[in-house]
Amino acid sequence: MSDTLMQSLAELATVEPDAARAERVRRRCRARLARQAPRLSSSGSWLARVWQPMIAILGVAYLIGAIVEATRIYGLL
Amino acid sequence: MSRVRPWSVMTGVDRDTELALVGRLREGDADAFDAVHAAFNTRLFTFLLRLSRRRDVAEDLLEETWLRLVTHAQRLRPDTRLGPWLFTVARNLHISFQRSRLLENSMAGSLMTLWPFSAEHASPFESVAASELEARIEVALAAMPASAREVLLLVGVTGLDHSDAADVCGITPEALRQRLHRAREALSQALERSGAADCRTLRGLTCPTR
Repeated sequence: MSDTLMQSLAELATVEPDAARAERVRRRCRARLARQAPRLSSSGSWLARVWQPMIAILGVAYLIGAIVEATRIYGLL
Repeated sequence: MSRVRPWSVMTGVDRDTELALVGRLREGDADAFDAVHAAFNTRLFTFLLRLSRRRDVAEDLLEETWLRLVTHAQRLRPDTRLGPWLFTVARNLHISFQRSRLLENSMAGSLMTLWPFSAEHASPFESVAASELEARIEVALAAMPASAREVLLLVGVTGLDHSDAADVCGITPEALRQRLHRAREALSQALERSGAADCRTLRGLTCPTR
């Protein structure tokens, strides 16, 4: 029974937004979305390409330095 | 209370489709945005227009809602429900607009008048109402406090279920049920006062069991 009022509400008119502006907004949003996607994915791959090898190289360099320093301290070199 | 029309029927977006759209939006798929825009644009605009009662404001807030979606697209949770998400953004933007307008009008001391705020603009829907009853409902809705109007719009007009509407309003489902109950009573009383004969019939039909 209580659905009668809700039925009336559900059947109220809808109004379309301005078609030209809606189209402008849609295009603007599409462009923004498209701009974001490649930037994020390329920045992600760039990080992977640069930072991972860099961290590995620094780690190896530190290890070599530590070994050289240790052998020098103990008079092995 | 059962809904008049299921949400998926009103938007044409079932849950599986919605999840797929969210996934594609997160990947920056512009075609997914088009699908979401087509499904929700008119409903969001109608919601904002009934909240603001001003076409120019509703258009601005609608645009900002879509821009928020694309800005946050990659941070959407995979299980995001697009309808509640979009209506939450639209509602919050409207509240922000009302607050800024009050401040601009040097009415900062009366922020409490946000709920309810005065009906300074007639509802744009009155001119397109198909029947006298519809016109009376539009007038009654436009005159209601915003907190009551928004729950009627979200549940009755937009078709969100109680849980989703509660999320949009930032309240518990139980609080929403109570607010909706009071709003329906207020609306039916307003309709009765407005003198519609068929609304007197409605009066006896609009007291839901809690």
